Amino acid sequence: MMRGLATTRRFGHGAGWRPQLDAAIARTDGLGFIEVVAESIGAPGLPGGVVAARMRGLQVVPHGVSLSLGGAERPDPDRLAHLAAVAELGGAPLVSEHIAFVRAGGRESGHLLPVPRTREALEILGENVAIAQDALPVPLALEHVAALVEWPGAEMDEATFVCELLDRTGALLLLDLSNVYANAHNHGYDALESLARFPLDRIAYVHVGGGTFRDGVYHDTHAHPVVPGVLRLVEALFAMTDAPGVLLERDDDFPPEAELAAELRAIADAARRGGEQRVRD
Amino acid sequence: MSGIDRSGYAARQALLLDALLRGDGYPAGFAAAQADAAGRSLRRKRARAVARAWPALTLDLGDVFDTRFDAFARATGAPASGDPLRDGLAFVRRLGHDTRLGDDARAEVLLARAALRRRGLFVAAACLRRPYRRLLVVVRLPWGGPVHVSVPTAHAARRRRRPARRA
Repeated sequence: MMRGLATTRRFGHGAGWRPQLDAAIARTDGLGFIEVVAESIGAPGLPGGVVAARMRGLQVVPHGVSLSLGGAERPDPDRLAHLAAVAELGGAPLVSEHIAFVRAGGRESGHLLPVPRTREALEILGENVAIAQDALPVPLALEHVAALVEWPGAEMDEATFVCELLDRTGALLLLDLSNVYANAHNHGYDALESLARFPLDRIAYVHVGGGTFRDGVYHDTHAHPVVPGVLRLVEALFAMTDAPGVLLERDDDFPPEAELAAELRAIADAARRGGEQRVRD
Repeated sequence: MSGIDRSGYAARQALLLDALLRGDGYPAGFAAAQADAAGRSLRRKRARAVARAWPALTLDLGDVFDTRFDAFARATGAPASGDPLRDGLAFVRRLGHDTRLGDDARAEVLLARAALRRRGLFVAAACLRRPYRRLLVVVRLPWGGPVHVSVPTAHAARRRRRPARRA
């Protein structure tokens, strides 16, 4: 059972490893870690590019997308065993998953869907997360999702919900700044105010991804450049706390290598500016 | 383990997911515009993943790919594995026989069926016309990956043997 560990580990800057980004990641200096989608790892084991990254000293964090920890069903033992096996293969310091459900009533959504922010959901999530923690060889970090649709009857806001869940389970926080931005923009509240109320002392690492606006709605696509509003949140976060690591997610419409490098630099610059501000203050 | 009653929670999630996939009939209390956007986003994400895994099929269907896949996704959940190859194969089956696929797409279908075969022997063949008339045979043995060979048909072989016409 792995829970309740503080994150003293430093990750630095990272990128989500995808086959299409393998060469770019291999040629990027200064990365401290990569994230691999656990479900993309098959029987042959870790892809060569991930093994090579590990040999260069980068830490590997498996990222699960299918446990459906926020679902009504208990997490599937086979999926848990797979996530645990990928963690072992990669010598991972931790694994991450989502506060979301991806299946219900025998149907798969193919995407991460939000859970109702209620006491009932907290009870069920708490139980599912505990089952997962018992099956995993390393600590678990939980990521809140970007939700285009909100459940009616919310009993608390997102930051409070996440705080309560981490308190109950001892899990770590995978803070996704693009999701903070998306939810604040789409549901009409202040992103900075929301960010400040997340449990920042529980951050394992931070996600930053690109997105786009369609009809006034912000879509967290991971297929577009990172928008300025999200970079401002990176700066604001590092002005509040020295987060252990920040990682760029790109899942589609992969950019040329120079563009990817520029995005990584922009994130690093924003984190540095925030850090300088924190030191000054 | 505590005895939380999960049945009501399960039913509410199933209702929402069903409505999002279908694109209407949202449960009471949900904002229709938000739910529409979420449903579209689910279907778009699936469509893009399938399009990447099935380039020949996507090219073959052209402009109608989006509308046909959207109709399919409204009726059918994604595969449990999340595998776009499997999702695409379910989509092809849904297209039915009234949609005539081109040679490259048909070859893609055979290769996908072979790749997705979990156990036992897989053998299937298709007559293709381009770039020459041939029989494409795809085989997957129980212990290996798919192998495919193209055998020119007698017609194609005759054409190949025929001397070139003088100008």
